[in-house]
Amino acid sequence: MSIIVDHVTKSFSERNRRRQSKLVLKDVCFEVPDGEFVSLLGPSGCGKSTTLTIIAGFQGRDSGDVIVNGRTVTRPGPDRAFVFQDYALLPWMKVGENITYPMKMQRVPKEEREKRLDELLSLAQLQECRDQYINELSGGMKQRVALLRAIACDPEVLLMDEPLGAVDFQMRKLLQLQLESILMQKKVTTLMVTHDVDEAVYLSDRVIVMGRDHGNILADVAIELDRPRDRTSEKYHGYCDQLTELLKTALSGEVFTKEDEDIMNFIKNAEIESRRHC
Amino acid sequence: MEEKDQLQSRQWKSFSDRSRTMNMGTQALKKLNYPAVTMLLVLMAAWYFGAHVYNKPFVFPYFEVVMGRIGEALTDLAVLRAIGITMRRVLMGTLYGFIIGLPLGMAMGFSPLIMKTLSPFVNAVRQIPTTAWVPLAIIWFGLGDGPTLFVLALHGVFVIILNTAAGVMDINPEYYNAVKSMGAGPVEIVKDVIFPGALPGVITGIRLAMGMGWMTVV
Ligand SMILES: Nc1ncnc2c1ncn2[C@@H]1O[C@H](COP(=O)(O)OP(=O)(O)OP(=O)(O)O)[C@@H](O)[C@H]1O
Ligand SMILES: [Mg+2]
Repeated sequence: MSIIVDHVTKSFSERNRRRQSKLVLKDVCFEVPDGEFVSLLGPSGCGKSTTLTIIAGFQGRDSGDVIVNGRTVTRPGPDRAFVFQDYALLPWMKVGENITYPMKMQRVPKEEREKRLDELLSLAQLQECRDQYINELSGGMKQRVALLRAIACDPEVLLMDEPLGAVDFQMRKLLQLQLESILMQKKVTTLMVTHDVDEAVYLSDRVIVMGRDHGNILADVAIELDRPRDRTSEKYHGYCDQLTELLKTALSGEVFTKEDEDIMNFIKNAEIESRRHC
Repeated sequence: MEEKDQLQSRQWKSFSDRSRTMNMGTQALKKLNYPAVTMLLVLMAAWYFGAHVYNKPFVFPYFEVVMGRIGEALTDLAVLRAIGITMRRVLMGTLYGFIIGLPLGMAMGFSPLIMKTLSPFVNAVRQIPTTAWVPLAIIWFGLGDGPTLFVLALHGVFVIILNTAAGVMDINPEYYNAVKSMGAGPVEIVKDVIFPGALPGVITGIRLAMGMGWMTVV
């Protein structure tokens, strides 16, 4: 299972200006080989989510091709599990029902579903939440449930849009650890959008940095470190610094939105952090 | 233990209709709206004393006299029958409105094209006052239950269409993508997303339709 994004172009028609449309992605090309974990890093609004949803088949493209496992993508399908930026958990179902939903759709027998559910819940320390409704959960818990739902069916391709954005620091580190072990063990082909440089270096085989200029790809960095990764090693910090620099050029000093500010703050913090480590 | 209790009581509160273990007596007792009951008692007392102080029963009748009359009416079989018939009519009218309104409302909420096609008609017909329908309804359905039911259903249908459509349009579009990417087909999309998502709107619609039905049927 590999993902090939081949010269994808996408524009949105703007409501008030009939003729003009906003070009968001122009000739975007990259590839995620079978079993590889690739992160997509870039400033806010550069088109990361758009790219990911086009691969998922949630929206079309103006031109270009998206090929997953040799087949051109035309619509969503269970071969590509998706973790949504805002969870998209069904509020009228309990946590357990949400997580088992994809298995139900795949006609997994009930007993097996329950067994798998127990397994997954204990993985993310959510056993007590099994019978709660979604609106009774915190943001971090929702995000964990969304993650469990996506990996419930052992997908071969996993697309994640900032899957750990709302989880607190400690849980984040724990989930990164678990995510790594699960995905490496099962050899899941994964594309993850993230704002977090450290997360990208920790989890990825490769990091793609996207820029503001119609989603142009600024860099494609292979992370050549043994797993599980040692956050204190010099090389690890080398990668973090390199990607931080790249993000800075991607922003090119232009801070448009609150998220940009967050990234800038993050970069500053990361720099302070790395100096402390040295 | 205490935490668990709290959790359970919270769940029970929001989903009391699902709990079948609780016996009806305690359930009714727990559901009792104490502030409103207090308010009712205060109002009744105010009426009782107010009427006696004012002491002109023709303008402001005594509380106990009015209650007595209501009591008489409620024990009169003919009045009870009439109430029963009215209730049945309102329920039937709303039911017809529901049967027609629900699919239309769901379709209009789901597809912008259907909404664009139908909403001018719905909005136009909706403006026609009830009384204007009555002669036509009598011609179409004759005398008796027919025209009443027709007018009730007509009233209900628009309220239900509008509320259902609003309920469906309120559904987060990501939910469709989510279930599709998990392998759901059209049947599951209706069953697991559109229907439960629109349910609050549908229930509001039914409640409004019944409430308006009571008023129009008089
Ligand atoms: N449905 C849409 N209609 C019009 N414009 C859109 C639509 N979806 C996205 N855009 C625009 O496309 C650009 C890229 O959006 P996208 O959501 O892909 O950014 P992103 O990189 O995921 O940002 P973030 O990191 O903030 O999530 C933005 O400028 C956005 O305004
Ligand atoms: Mg995004």
